[in-house]
Amino acid sequence: MRTSLTETQTIEKYLFGRMSNEDRLLLETKMTLNPELEEKVYLQRQVYEQVKAYGRKQLSADIQAVHHQLFTAPQYRGFRQRVMAIFKT
Amino acid sequence: MNSKQQNPKSKEELFTSLYLEVFPAAAALVSKNGGSFDQASDVFQEALICYYEQVIIGNKITEISDKAYLLGITRNLWYQQMRMGREHESLEVVTQLSETQPTLPSPHRILRFLETAGKKCMDMLQAFYYDQLPLEKIANRFGFGSTRSATVQKYKCLEKMRQEVSKQELTYADFTD
Repeated sequence: MRTSLTETQTIEKYLFGRMSNEDRLLLETKMTLNPELEEKVYLQRQVYEQVKAYGRKQLSADIQAVHHQLFTAPQYRGFRQRVMAIFKT
Repeated sequence: MNSKQQNPKSKEELFTSLYLEVFPAAAALVSKNGGSFDQASDVFQEALICYYEQVIIGNKITEISDKAYLLGITRNLWYQQMRMGREHESLEVVTQLSETQPTLPSPHRILRFLETAGKKCMDMLQAFYYDQLPLEKIANRFGFGSTRSATVQKYKCLEKMRQEVSKQELTYADFTD
C-alpha cells in the first residue's frame, strides 16, 4: 500500500484503540513533533463521526419509509385501526 | 461473523415486522403516559435505531426476546424524555461530540457538505464502519475485484473525506473572521 494509506491505517488503529502501548506512545510523540500529522488525526476522527451520523440518517430514512407504508397502504388497515384506537380517549 | 446481518431479510422486512409486532405495545405505553401518536412514532423510531445498532450491527446477545428488548428500549427512551421534560430529545443531540466549539461549522453542515462532495465514498464508508458488512459483501456491492482493492479504496476515501472536512472548516473560518 502507498505510504499515505499506511499512515491512514495507523491513524485508524490509534483512534479505534487497536494499538499496543508502545505504538500508541510512538504515534503520540510523532504528533507533538508534527502538527500536520496531528491535524490528520483530528480530521480523521471527525470523518468517523460524520460516517456514523450519515449511517443513522440513512437508517432513519429507511424506518420512516416503512412507517409511511404501514400508515398508508391498504393492506395494513387493520394494524392502523388497532394503533389509532389506542389514542382515542 | 455477523449472523443476523447475513440472513437475507432486508432492512425493510425487518423493520416492517418489528413495527407490526411491537409498535402497538409501544404506542399503548406512550399513550398511557399522556403521549400522542406522533410522540409514540418518534420515540419508537429512535428505539429502532438503537436496536439496530446494538442487536443487528453489534450482535448483542439479549437475555429476553428481541421484541421484548425493543419494547424495553422504547420504554427507557420514553421515560428519559419525560424526565427531561423535553418532547423531542433526538438521538443526534446525545451523540454530537464536537459541537461545543463555536468557531467550527456545525456537524449537520459538514455532513450535508460531505454528502454532496463524496456520496460514493460516504456510502462505502457507511458500509464499512456503520453497517460493518463483511469485506466480501462490500467488494461485491461496490464493484471491486477483490477485498484488497476494497480495503485500499476505503483508505483512499478516508483521506478524501479528511480533506473535505478540512476544506469545509477553512471555508467556514473565512466567513467568521
